[in-house]
Amino acid sequence: MNNAPPLFRAFDFPRRAIGLTIAASITALMLGIFLAVSRVDIPVSSNSLQPDITHLVRMSLIQAALTTFLSLSVGIALAWALNRLRFFGRPLVVSLFATAIVAPAIVVALGMIAVWGRAGWINQLLAIFSLGWNGSIFGLHGILFAHTILNGAFAAHILLARLQTIPAQKLKTGQSLALSPLRRFLVLDWPVISGALPSLGAIIFLLAFTSFPIVLILGGGPANQTLEVAIYSYVRLSFDLRAALSLALVQLVFCLIIVLPALLATPSLASSGTTRQFHWPDTKGATIAQWAILTLALAGFGLPLLAVLVNGIGPGLFPVLTQNRFWQATITSLSIGAISAFVTLVLALGLTTSRNSFSSPLMRAALALPAFAYLVIPALVLSLGFFLSVRALQIAPSNAAPLVLVLANALLALPFAISVLAPALDAINKRYAKTARSLGLSGFARWRMLEWPLMGREVGIVLAFGFCFSLGDLGVIALFGTSEFSTLPWLMFRALGAYRTNDAAAIASVLLLLTLIVFWALPPLMEKLSHAKS
Amino acid sequence: MLKVEQLTFTQPGQSLSYVYDLEVAPGEIVVVTGVSGAGKSTLLDLIAGFLSPTDGSLSLNETDLLPLPPEKRPLSILFQEDNLFEHLSVAKNLALALTANQGQENERILEALNEVGLGGYGPRRASNLSGGQKQRVALARTLLRNRPVLLLDEPFASLDEKTARDMRALVRCLTDTKQWHTLIVSHAKEDARQLADRLYSLCEGRLNPEVLQVQDPKINRWTPMRPPRATRQGHH
Repeated sequence: MNNAPPLFRAFDFPRRAIGLTIAASITALMLGIFLAVSRVDIPVSSNSLQPDITHLVRMSLIQAALTTFLSLSVGIALAWALNRLRFFGRPLVVSLFATAIVAPAIVVALGMIAVWGRAGWINQLLAIFSLGWNGSIFGLHGILFAHTILNGAFAAHILLARLQTIPAQKLKTGQSLALSPLRRFLVLDWPVISGALPSLGAIIFLLAFTSFPIVLILGGGPANQTLEVAIYSYVRLSFDLRAALSLALVQLVFCLIIVLPALLATPSLASSGTTRQFHWPDTKGATIAQWAILTLALAGFGLPLLAVLVNGIGPGLFPVLTQNRFWQATITSLSIGAISAFVTLVLALGLTTSRNSFSSPLMRAALALPAFAYLVIPALVLSLGFFLSVRALQIAPSNAAPLVLVLANALLALPFAISVLAPALDAINKRYAKTARSLGLSGFARWRMLEWPLMGREVGIVLAFGFCFSLGDLGVIALFGTSEFSTLPWLMFRALGAYRTNDAAAIASVLLLLTLIVFWALPPLMEKLSHAKS
Repeated sequence: MLKVEQLTFTQPGQSLSYVYDLEVAPGEIVVVTGVSGAGKSTLLDLIAGFLSPTDGSLSLNETDLLPLPPEKRPLSILFQEDNLFEHLSVAKNLALALTANQGQENERILEALNEVGLGGYGPRRASNLSGGQKQRVALARTLLRNRPVLLLDEPFASLDEKTARDMRALVRCLTDTKQWHTLIVSHAKEDARQLADRLYSLCEGRLNPEVLQVQDPKINRWTPMRPPRATRQGHH
């Protein structure tokens, strides 16, 4: 890709320097935390039980493996249905499923209870027909259900994007050959989506393995506890930092062993380009199946979100709006979210533009890997690392909290940001690299004249990711949150713990609305600002 | 006879309507030329059933084709690229055109590949073929489908001149021997000069008959190439 003579490559020097500095800083931060943690003198807690690591690992692995299998199955089926069906409001439905990656898990968990709980919508509906459902949403099945609808929607969004890259000519050829729905899936769809499954599966496994709010809220007791929740319990409830640290290390090792090979094998989830749309509907039987899948998915994913909005936006909202702590938490959440988003964008742009200026695969990997390493570091483990480092430096956690929250959330969003920016930059490079070089476009001029006008939407997506990840975070704030320093998810979690369910529902609705608005509005807004025409 | 009569299409949001009129006889090659965006591919999409016309008629030997979905229409269509499924072998790409049992299938596939000069290519992956070989495999598939109408959308645009010349000779040969109704849309003058029995130019949404130049006499000399020695015979 980079065949220019060395003199030309000198144009890339500032970009390379910036990228390498960022990569080195991220690596140094990781090592710094590790060193600080290894040297810290942690007192042994005498009154806490030793963790049953075997049980916690087994439970974490079982639920993550089941979640991955179920989510990929649901994702493939839903992507298949959305790819084939055309109906009024389809773009809205597609973008609703796209919000799965940023929807705050604590909000989804609350929505699940509102729909499937004992006093939930389903039971209220059944009561009209004098029926009742005595089952409980709490337990392993509840965790799996919540994970599957959330990750299944996320998988469907990724796989649908892949299906849309099938060239129109191939679809026309397939249609003129009268391929049956099954043959069409095997010949046209499967080759396109199968390439994404290892990395998608790895990410879903990781998300489930390190899931925190859903397991905490829907787990229903110690039997279903996972490593992530156990770490939280040992820090917040029994303050046994030694046990928490040993669990964190176990979790980190498992994440690395299981997930890193899959991520390294297929590092990009992004699909390469899009094609002009050509619609080829399936047979009637297949279409009926597709409608059934879509209806079930909408009920599974859409109903909990709807329940959050319906239950939260109502008379219960006004008392919350009058609380000073609500506004303080809102301002904190918005400020930290905005700064996190900006930091995420700067780091991601620095790394990806620099990565693009290198032709050596080794250098390209060296620039991306430190950022992707944060994919295998669970939020709570990263938070614990910061927590112990801050203690080692004898800084009060409450003083360090804002900076830690910004940094940790930006680092956690970074792998996703890179996977959005890298393919777009690669495409621009492929098309315009020679022209840009012949014109001597480099550094900021290249960004202003070439990349920014064509990447406004991707920049918007990265900002939205950074903001929404931070806004919905419970993992990092879980160790740093206090009654004085609170974000909206932390305030909501505390309200749930104190059985102030109306407050929790109201805060959940605000969180969800903010997430949806930012996630839907930022990409087109940035696209418009960059004067890009897609 | 393939008849296209007042076949009309208006792109949503555009004021210009395309109105097509043309006929293609058995064993005849009709070439439609025009600049990019003139509506050449739209004509083929309408005939193939990928687009629905707003008016007009389309028939083959007095049979109305418009009510038929694309897969039921008696035609094969070839594009500039993406005709083959690259992850499949050549033989499997061809097998998509057949519903016969396995034994007959293999025999017919080999026969079709021999006819386009790619006898030993069955087991090869489509992605390993050159541009010209891919187009010939796609033509072999049209042989297996044996539909009387052949539509070609800029079929030789991505090929080098020698390969394009070979391909033109193959299309000429197959059209003559199979008595296909062949319609080619192309912006290449060579396609018109070497292949057209009748020529139309497309301008402002209308087809205009053009005066035909003398055909290149070398174009009918299509002799299938021998399979290369390095490849195995058979395709499984």
